[in-house]
Amino acid sequence: MIRKYLLPVLAVLGLGFAVLTVISGSKTIPPALPFVDPAAPPFKSSVAGTGIVEANTENIAIGTLVPGVVSGIYISVGSKVKTGDPLFKLDDRDLMAQLTIRRAALHVSNTTVKVAKASLSDVKNQLALAESITDKRAISVEELDRRRYAVQIAKAKLAQAKADVVSAMAQIRETETNLDRIVVRAPVDGKVLQLKIHPGEFAPAGIIQTPLILLGNVEPLNVRVDVDENDAWRVRTGAPAVAFLRGNKEIKTDLKFVRFEPYIVPKKSLTGDSIERVDTRVLQVIYSIAQTDLPIFAGQQMDVYIEAPDQLQKSSAISQIEQAKQTGQSHE
Amino acid sequence: MNFIALKMLIGDRAKYLGIIMGLMFASLLITQQSAIFLGLMTRTFGFLTDTTLPDIWVMDPKVQYIDDLKPLKETEVLRVRSVEGVAWAVPMYKGLLKARLPNGTFQTCNVVGLDDETLIGGPPQMLQGQLSDLRRSDAIIVDSFSVKDRLARVMPDGRREPLKIGDTMELNDHRAVVVGVCKVTRTFQSQPVIYTTYSRATIFAPRERKLMTFVLVKAKPGQDTHILCHRIRQVTGLAAYTRDEFKKLTVRYFMKYTGIPINFGVTVVLGFIVGVAIAGQTFYNFTLDNIRYFGTLKAMGASDVTLLRMILLQAAMVGSIGYGLGVGAASVFGTLSGSTELSFRFPWQLLSASATAVTLICAASAVLSMWKVIRLEPAIVFKS
Amino acid sequence: MNNIAVRCKGVTKTYGSGETKVRALRGIDLEVKTGEMMMLVGPSGSGKTTLISIVAGVLERDEGECMVFGHDFKHMSHREKARFRGQNIGFVFQLFNLIPTLSAAENVAAPLLINGVKRRNALERAREILNLVGIGDRTHSLPSELSGGQQQRVAIARAMVHNPKFIVCDEPTSALDHETGHKVLELLHEVVVGVDRALVVVTHDSRIFEFANRIAKMDDGHIISVSDSRDFRLNEKLN
Repeated sequence: MIRKYLLPVLAVLGLGFAVLTVISGSKTIPPALPFVDPAAPPFKSSVAGTGIVEANTENIAIGTLVPGVVSGIYISVGSKVKTGDPLFKLDDRDLMAQLTIRRAALHVSNTTVKVAKASLSDVKNQLALAESITDKRAISVEELDRRRYAVQIAKAKLAQAKADVVSAMAQIRETETNLDRIVVRAPVDGKVLQLKIHPGEFAPAGIIQTPLILLGNVEPLNVRVDVDENDAWRVRTGAPAVAFLRGNKEIKTDLKFVRFEPYIVPKKSLTGDSIERVDTRVLQVIYSIAQTDLPIFAGQQMDVYIEAPDQLQKSSAISQIEQAKQTGQSHE
Repeated sequence: MNFIALKMLIGDRAKYLGIIMGLMFASLLITQQSAIFLGLMTRTFGFLTDTTLPDIWVMDPKVQYIDDLKPLKETEVLRVRSVEGVAWAVPMYKGLLKARLPNGTFQTCNVVGLDDETLIGGPPQMLQGQLSDLRRSDAIIVDSFSVKDRLARVMPDGRREPLKIGDTMELNDHRAVVVGVCKVTRTFQSQPVIYTTYSRATIFAPRERKLMTFVLVKAKPGQDTHILCHRIRQVTGLAAYTRDEFKKLTVRYFMKYTGIPINFGVTVVLGFIVGVAIAGQTFYNFTLDNIRYFGTLKAMGASDVTLLRMILLQAAMVGSIGYGLGVGAASVFGTLSGSTELSFRFPWQLLSASATAVTLICAASAVLSMWKVIRLEPAIVFKS
Repeated sequence: MNNIAVRCKGVTKTYGSGETKVRALRGIDLEVKTGEMMMLVGPSGSGKTTLISIVAGVLERDEGECMVFGHDFKHMSHREKARFRGQNIGFVFQLFNLIPTLSAAENVAAPLLINGVKRRNALERAREILNLVGIGDRTHSLPSELSGGQQQRVAIARAMVHNPKFIVCDEPTSALDHETGHKVLELLHEVVVGVDRALVVVTHDSRIFEFANRIAKMDDGHIISVSDSRDFRLNEKLN
């Protein structure tokens, strides 16, 4: 009996095991859910762009005219400033010393003026005395001429001394101007977004990679939206747009059109390589963020959707597919 | 009469076993080889099997299969996002990078860069750590096979110490820290799979103008993916495939440009021929040996239909037993090889396909035998 | 007329054609009555086997008439012929032709199963018949476990299990020794002739001629004589 049923039983077991293998092997892998849900476009038809949040004045990289070591800072990160408020100061010891010297020089010049005035009075007196003598024999013509010339020389010396004073005062003013120049002041009302210098650091003049201070007016913030040049034609002036904060699609805001950057620029890439070749150019559109109470910061990236007309008139192929589907459904 | 048929069959143990063995080996060979073939083909798109969230994959139009890496400009993701019907579109980097192991050897790894924000396209199952740990600096997630094998640390005494969370390695001269271990479907080349974020992957990767390999797209709810594919193609000029289309594309490439299908096809055909030759032949012989008794039954009044039913029953009996044993043995083989490098995939279609093959073998031999029995003159019973 | 089981008139049969033509039967006239054991004797190639094949409905005749219990096989389809054989004719073969993997009872039950009898009933009836032929104790044995005589008893039991009206036997004793052959023939005589069945036995074995009612001698496709068993034996001895 065992022999008779052994093979069929084995066969049934084998088939059963095979079916089990099939079932256990056909489990589909559940999708790895996104860590954060990406934002979906809020418009039926739109142009997508990457936006970077910036101040409405644009982000102003403050530079210094004169290179030098920073000696004092008047602001901290995030502080609000008014136009003309000092931001920081460079070392001024050399200029102060120069000022002292120049002030001394002025003093000397003033003294010289006094001396010149005195000697002019002296020679004037001597000339008056000589001219009051009517006896031609008592004083020679030469003597009289010599005294006349002496007066003229003394007058010229006084004029020179006076000119020296003016010059010395001008030099003082120059130094004072230089002193003013090493104090860097806010060019606009705004907020300090970035502060990259500290007392004792050297601040070079010219364009540098990391600005010394980044300043801008953040009320309201603007968004600079990069749109691929291929889609640029679709963006209309004044088109409504919505921006989503990266990392949380719930934080979104309507945007108000400000302007186009009229010049199409090469796209900045993340690789940061200096010899990068770029063949993508983007249209930059400036929008202003309407809401102010959102946790949005300048420099942050946002996903922006700008309402735009459809890319293409529905091509015949697509409409054919759709038509086929519709008729298929109606048949069902 | 059915029981006479079965007794005739089972009573002749040697032939009975012979037929069943033949059928079993045929079905084992066909099933097992096809399963390995399917396994290999499945591995070619293993990465697609894992990444199930996106509906559509957008890539360079020249891409021929999943590992054919032809990167795109990064702004293409914006263009795809702008297409009507797209719910979201995120970039993905996929590339082969050299990892330097602590013992100085190099290992080429398949590096996948996920969208920094959403981490879409991540591994389906994390064994250690969490996907969100990728947000840490220099973080990478490594697949569980490589952790123990290719990327393992070889100790001075030859032991292999698996890579742990917190271990560092060098990826293309950049420091990388393991923050997680994930389970992935094996790929065709079986290279280690390393997940990281997109922007970090671009740092790891050699400097190139284009780095984005794929754009992963989700259709808006209710949007037909095929129409959307078409629209993406039309608007952006890029290739857009649904996951299944991309799988098919990949498989078609491997079918066309590698010898794998021919190789396995030959073995499967051999299995079929072995089945026909051994089992069919033995079954036919069995009928020939019993032709005298069939003749006797025929003389005693058994109709042709009855005799045919008997033969069909016998064929069905050996067929189902041989098939059951064969697929059972193939499954055992598959289960045992499940933890090795061998690929083994056993879908229900294969189960029914090998059933069809065995049925064909049995039917072929049964038809031969039935032909013989129908042609049989009952008068032979009087010939000694 | 009622007691005529088989009536043949002018039956001819030719195998092959052209050069290889063999005229096996050249006009046979034969009558077999019920309750009679008719033996067909003759040298090899005389047409005995061809004749019983035609009579038993497993071979088509070429010409002539042949009625078996008033039925003519020529007017029946394959199916009808098979059914007719299954219900009315029993077969005993030279080499027994017992299916080697079936037990004695199962072999005996085969004709009943062919006729659509339920398996359990068929086996029960088979055991009864085996009892009748004297080997009721071997119902579960395989043919290979039985002696020649026992096997032939099983074969006889199989030939009569479905109560056929007509039994054909082909050399029933050729594989048996003298004594066993005698016993088998006795059995045949007892269970067949005694209950009004017709029986045709083809044989070479002169030792069993005594059991026949009539003996037809054949040669070269003709029946050269039909005589009573006693007369026949007398003649044979004389020759």
